[in-house]
Amino acid sequence: MSTTVPGRRAGAPRLSAVHLAALAAGVLAGLLVWRIGLPDVHVWDTTLTALTVPTALTVGAGAGVVVIAVTSHRAWRVVDMTVAAVLAVAGGLFLWGMNAAWLPLTTPIGKVYPPLPALLNGVWILPGVLTGLIVRKPGAALFGETVAGAVEALTGGLWGFTSLYYGIVEGLGVELVFALLLYRRYGPVAAMAAGAGGGVALSVLDLTFYFTDYPAGQKLAYVLLSVLSCIVIAGLGGWALARALAATGALAPLSSGRAAQRV
Amino acid sequence: MTRSSGWPGAVGVAARGWGWRYATRRAWAVRGVDLDVAPGERVLLLGSSGSGKSTLLAGLAGLLDPGEGADDGTGEEEGSLHLDGVPARVARRRAVAGGAARTGLLLQDPLAQTVLARCGDDVAFGLENHAVPTVEIWPRVEAAMRGVAFPYPTAHPTDQLSGGERQRLALAGVIALRPGLLLLDEPSAMLDEPGTRMLREQVAAVLAATGATCVLVEHRLAGWIDLVDRVVVLDRTGGIAADGPPVTVFAAHGAALAAGGVWVPGHEPGRGAGPPRTPPATAPPGDGEMLLQARGLTATRRARARAGLPPVVAGIDVTVAAGRALCVLGDNGTGKSTLALTLAGLERPVAGEVVAGPRLAAGLRSPSPHRWRPRELVSRIGTVFQDPEHQIVATTVAAEIAVGPRRAGVPAADVEARVEELLGRMRLEHVARANPFTLSGGEQRRLSVAAVLAARPRVLVLDEPTFGQDARTWDALVALLRELIAAGHGVVAVTHDAPLAGVLGDAVLRLGSEHPDRGREEPRVGAA
Amino acid sequence: MTGALDRGVDAAAYAARANPVAKLAVGLSIAVAMVLSLDPVTAGTALLLEVVALPWCGLSPVALARRSWVALVAALAAGVGTALFGSGDPQAAAAVTARILAVTLPGVVLLATTDPTDLADALAQVLRLPHRFVLAALAATRLLGVLSDEWAVLGLARRARGLGGGGPLGRLRDHLGRILALLVVAVRRATVLATAMEARGFGAATRRTWARPSRLHPSDAVVAGYGLLVAVAATAAGVAAGTWHLVLT
Repeated sequence: MSTTVPGRRAGAPRLSAVHLAALAAGVLAGLLVWRIGLPDVHVWDTTLTALTVPTALTVGAGAGVVVIAVTSHRAWRVVDMTVAAVLAVAGGLFLWGMNAAWLPLTTPIGKVYPPLPALLNGVWILPGVLTGLIVRKPGAALFGETVAGAVEALTGGLWGFTSLYYGIVEGLGVELVFALLLYRRYGPVAAMAAGAGGGVALSVLDLTFYFTDYPAGQKLAYVLLSVLSCIVIAGLGGWALARALAATGALAPLSSGRAAQRV
Repeated sequence: MTRSSGWPGAVGVAARGWGWRYATRRAWAVRGVDLDVAPGERVLLLGSSGSGKSTLLAGLAGLLDPGEGADDGTGEEEGSLHLDGVPARVARRRAVAGGAARTGLLLQDPLAQTVLARCGDDVAFGLENHAVPTVEIWPRVEAAMRGVAFPYPTAHPTDQLSGGERQRLALAGVIALRPGLLLLDEPSAMLDEPGTRMLREQVAAVLAATGATCVLVEHRLAGWIDLVDRVVVLDRTGGIAADGPPVTVFAAHGAALAAGGVWVPGHEPGRGAGPPRTPPATAPPGDGEMLLQARGLTATRRARARAGLPPVVAGIDVTVAAGRALCVLGDNGTGKSTLALTLAGLERPVAGEVVAGPRLAAGLRSPSPHRWRPRELVSRIGTVFQDPEHQIVATTVAAEIAVGPRRAGVPAADVEARVEELLGRMRLEHVARANPFTLSGGEQRRLSVAAVLAARPRVLVLDEPTFGQDARTWDALVALLRELIAAGHGVVAVTHDAPLAGVLGDAVLRLGSEHPDRGREEPRVGAA
Repeated sequence: MTGALDRGVDAAAYAARANPVAKLAVGLSIAVAMVLSLDPVTAGTALLLEVVALPWCGLSPVALARRSWVALVAALAAGVGTALFGSGDPQAAAAVTARILAVTLPGVVLLATTDPTDLADALAQVLRLPHRFVLAALAATRLLGVLSDEWAVLGLARRARGLGGGGPLGRLRDHLGRILALLVVAVRRATVLATAMEARGFGAATRRTWARPSRLHPSDAVVAGYGLLVAVAATAAGVAAGTWHLVLT
């Protein structure tokens, strides 16, 4: 019953028959989408048909990720929930602060080169990555981003409840990376990858809803700068913050503290 | 002492070789506990710090979970711990499913135990968790609040409660569940004297009314001793050191317990520390020289000012002199901390002024400490906060001590020397490279004092220095403070711990509107 | 986040009394409409319809302004910025300003007129969100009130240790250290809170009862319906005026 080596045995997905069936159904749905193809409707100066392959991949991968998350045998304990909640709400307050500073910061920078303010976008992903790294349970990153977005909206953020929608999608982006790593990897590389995941989600949202009239070159620059910022600020920054917290011993009751040495 | 032992709900405890080890610790928190507690019995659990008392209470409450294996549990268990024949963990799960709690746990931090924003909601929280039908909830809530004589209605916001009131509210939340075993983990550790007294009365009333079994952990035993009929002492190295009626246990083990840091009635450190300090035959350098003076001082915390509340501290005249101690006494809420912070130059006076004497203010533009730059402040006035964790700024103990002198501009070699000296003096060499947050409470307190002393300030301001400390640390602190006073420092100690003031001697300032000497300094004359 | 029902707020007003989920629905609907198109007619109509409903929300204009100052300032700044430095088009500037105001208003009203405990009750009972997470989040919001006091004490403690002052880089490092210390305090308090909640039976079973049942009434449908109406009417107005332009295309 001794538990000196964390993470080696438990946490590997245990697939029951139901889960295998769900996974198979998801993959099948992806294959179907690919075979049948999407309808010939005009959207985004293009037709949906061109999106067939990416959509099929997304559906298949999405099903896989959900199955992984649900079957990873890591149940949330109460201490995980309270810590995640405190981090998420604190993250929301931090984002409120960023709301206040956002326009003063980005307007002058944006005049130099319009996509340049994307270098600051990492802050929007930081709550999700930090929560995911510290709590290390399926859904932690999503919970962190969503609650932070909700707090941001409730405290009078610039974008109202669109922050909540953004939080959900960005949270999914971060969560996707942790899920693909089977909720077992939380080192600096994993953190950076998770940041990148959130960055991609954020860029897609921003380019779809806010910066639609950028020329293609600037759009690409926006994506690259956003992802870079998220990798550095949210990924590395989040990892450094989590490590500093772990060193203080405050994380001992959590799974992330379990990975520390016995003292 | 009679009580109704016939209450069917009272729970009996049976522990056989029970031990627990936390996942991140090498040492066992508690080990080899063989204990039987009969239903309705009241037990006082004693032991030096680190002997696992809180762990045993958590185990009894069913909160310790070894997990299914690998990553999930909080630690490792050995032996068995049964409540009425059922393992404690199972008992908790069954209780929640069945709507009636077997155990109720009261913790020591009042702030941490208030879960919801309205008093009634907070008490109802436990009932909701135990799936008590909605129609029964509010009558039970109101009965529980009446049972602890809670002074406010159910809709009163919990933000505005004092520490003692919060603990009583938490007690109401616990007894609303009608537990058969009441577990109290140092419930009065963070309360002042009136708060403690009221809590004690309510606990006594609850035990008398329900006849529940009780296991109590406490340090300051005055008053609580009358509540219990049995004392169990946990041995730090495992097992039970003593078990029996209070009189017998204290007679046989009193001295050993006191040496281990327990506050044993009759062995209190205050009594043993010798007579109150009298001025030494040869006066220390600069003796009696005025270091800080407050004139007509009115002060408040910024948060209070923003909320539009009147200042707590008004019209105070006080002097801090070299080689003298000033003790500021008063209950919680009388503004002691505010006064301390304002004297230390950390808060700005609302009215009146704080002026530093010529020695302290030499070379500075302003005699008011609150105008000084942090570098200038750190080498002149040292402040030790109530919670040592608030002052931790470095990642190792040695670096923590070095911060102050480095900021004050002391050359690196001297900084090294000072750090070495203080590590030795404060018995912190063995943790010199540890992260300060991982230290025990006593070690953190010693570290915070060491870090402040490193910059060699003339004035020392201490906010509740003995708060929550065991007897040994209390002794060590008092000895240290006496040494500093004898060396010519000026010491201001803010506390609700009256024996401390008695031992340090010199001037006492009492805050609090009921006291007739409010705001006036009273020099002590003769022996205590 | 606490002190929701303090001065300037009339909790008995029609919309203020509604179930928090209904108020949430208003905010969510309007956000969708505002994000689909950026044009002055849509945004302006939404804002107008919101302002018209304000008397029923129980917030005086002053109280509203006090709570949404960030958005107010940002809206003005964005409008001015667009007019002077952006496209220079006054219509675009008006659209940006109106959009920010229209989208933040419902959130502010929700927070001002809703007790957080009631919001959590509604989310868990009406929307059936997982109650353990919702309640943990509610308990965490209470903790944060404590944390703002801790933040102040941390500042004083650091001044007493000689930190603060010095160049901007030193200040930044001290600030980061202060943030880290606050996070440590926050996590510590969260772990103790978890013990306290567990000691009262939290998290041990999936079934629980509710001391404050949160139910939907017909007036909640009215409030939520009004939110939907604002979203639809604003979009329709934009389409009718020919200025509505789906940002996705």
